[in-house]
Amino acid sequence: MAQLGEDLYRGLYLARASEQAVIEHYPEDEMRTPMHMSMGQEHIPVGICQGLGGHCDVFASYRSHATFLAQTMNTDRFFAELYGKTSGTAEGKAGSMHLSAPAEGHILSSGIVASPIPVAVGAAFANKRLKTGRISVVFFGDGAVDSGVFWESLNVACLFQLPVFFVCEDNGLAVHTPISNRRGYDSLVDTVSTYRCLVYDDTSNDVEEIHRIAQDALAKNQKNPQPVFMNIACYRYLDHIGTGEDWHYGYRSVDERETWNKRDSLAMQRGRLLERGLGEADIKAMESEIDERIRKSVAFAKKAPFAEPERLYHGVFHESS
Amino acid sequence: MKNAMLSYREGLHNAMHDALAAHDHTLIIGQGVTDHKGIFGTTTGLGEKFGKDRVLDTPLAEESITGICIGAALNGLYPINTHIRADFSLLAFNQIINLAAKYKYMFGGLFNLPMIIRLVVGRSWGQGAQHSQSLQSLFAHIPGLMVIMPSSPHAIEAAYGHAIANHRGPVISLEHRLMYELKFSDDGWSSTAGETPFSSRMVRSGSDVTIVATSIMVLEAMRAAEYLSGHDIDCEVIDLHCVSHPDKQMIIDSVGRTGRLIVADTSWLPYGVTAEVGRIIVEHDPSLLRSPMISMGMQPSPCPTAKSLEDIFYPTVGDLCGNIVRLVKGQESTDIPVPSESSMSDYYKAFRGPF
Repeated sequence: MAQLGEDLYRGLYLARASEQAVIEHYPEDEMRTPMHMSMGQEHIPVGICQGLGGHCDVFASYRSHATFLAQTMNTDRFFAELYGKTSGTAEGKAGSMHLSAPAEGHILSSGIVASPIPVAVGAAFANKRLKTGRISVVFFGDGAVDSGVFWESLNVACLFQLPVFFVCEDNGLAVHTPISNRRGYDSLVDTVSTYRCLVYDDTSNDVEEIHRIAQDALAKNQKNPQPVFMNIACYRYLDHIGTGEDWHYGYRSVDERETWNKRDSLAMQRGRLLERGLGEADIKAMESEIDERIRKSVAFAKKAPFAEPERLYHGVFHESS
Repeated sequence: MKNAMLSYREGLHNAMHDALAAHDHTLIIGQGVTDHKGIFGTTTGLGEKFGKDRVLDTPLAEESITGICIGAALNGLYPINTHIRADFSLLAFNQIINLAAKYKYMFGGLFNLPMIIRLVVGRSWGQGAQHSQSLQSLFAHIPGLMVIMPSSPHAIEAAYGHAIANHRGPVISLEHRLMYELKFSDDGWSSTAGETPFSSRMVRSGSDVTIVATSIMVLEAMRAAEYLSGHDIDCEVIDLHCVSHPDKQMIIDSVGRTGRLIVADTSWLPYGVTAEVGRIIVEHDPSLLRSPMISMGMQPSPCPTAKSLEDIFYPTVGDLCGNIVRLVKGQESTDIPVPSESSMSDYYKAFRGPF
């Protein structure tokens, strides 16, 4: 348990500190890609990805920094892609919104809300048919649930009983529009519960709890493959897009922020490690090691080359053999 | 077996059957693929033979089904997705254009996405505005999609077999409903080979005019060419076939020889196939054209249902002959009678080859 708690904290800290570095360097205008920051929501991908232990194909939305880092822990390629460099995940063609690392199980991220949901279902279909034993996991926001394709995909997954986890990162906002302005029904969880799938509803903001849920769902799934839906409450710390805060626009309350800040998943996990007897110095060492790794990745990305001009035309069409 | 007659539908059924028989990972996915009509007879019996987990009936949920095909392709399967009308694929454009077309490029070449999306273009019998659209230009406009319009069962068998065995990206195929029951002989133009099974094909050589045609307009061009050969007009006919990757050199060389160009497409003219073929010539050497090119396609309106209006909406073989005569003999020459069939659908109801 001690090791698990540390691993989870390391995952949270890596995502949080990486985005802190993005915030620090973004004004230099070298990372020319629209940022949709994960900050405040890191416990979800960290808990799920570690909970599934790598036996999964991850599909993410454009708010995928934490998801990518949780699954790959690869800050070199992460920053290089944000800087648009050849050493990135897609030689700079992807940027922040299309991070991918299929060899490491982060299949892809998409800039169109809800669009990866059916793709994850299709991947699950193939996994079932090819008996790979892998779970297909798709992360999306509560805004995506308002899209028809979510319901189409949930329906098909439940109809065919496919091994796919639908993970709703419920931050209550679609861009800036609250759920109260978007839904003509009372409870998403109750509604999804009428489908033939396992349903989890979490408001803990606790990475260990998310990890436990993921493992529980995985165990049940291994016994009886079926779709899983998780609604996990979280709070988006920053603006929908960009690296800044946005309370000054007045569309959401500062009180709400204070409530969530008190339950910050990173602080919660750090406090827990201290309670369990880990020393402040040990935690600091862990953090410093990650800070240093990020510092090197940023420096490496800044120095890496841009793609040669002819790469513009490379990979547009698939070749025939 | 020489001179065997094969219908477009039979060619499609053969292609679907062979795809499942030859490759374990091939799936046919679409609404109604296992029902008693079997996508106009092109998937009939395949669910029973290969299993309903490989010939997969689905909900009416075009976007998610296309996304599921993409995900299945990413993870090693080969999906063939069907739409009984091309119009219905508009519900899946998000997946096709925002995702499928871009996956290879956007992720730095990490992904292959082998799949076919079959779209049936409707025409006649009152298909109307929402069951008749021929959307090749919308697809071919987007970098990343291979868009084909097979004009014969032989072209289908070759192209689909090639796609499944050798091509690692998404192929959009527009099939023409009006051709489904037409019989084609295996020793005529319809079995002419292109450079690859996706390539444009020279289906008739001639010296007076180049006709570049797509899909069923290839048949119309061949009918017109046969008719006018008796009036001392020698037409060259190119089946464009691959709308996204036309054989530019074939078109340029042909127009270089004939000096005249007619482009006959199944869709609207603005920003379409005809405009694109014109661009190929104009950007290469406009002086190749001795006369202005002529574009033929649907009239600039949605498709009307009433037959009286529909007959005007689509170009007829008579219109095509008239244009050829005008182009080759000059505006004033009207001594060649033009065939007077009221519409192609009337003609093809009874048509049994040899085209």
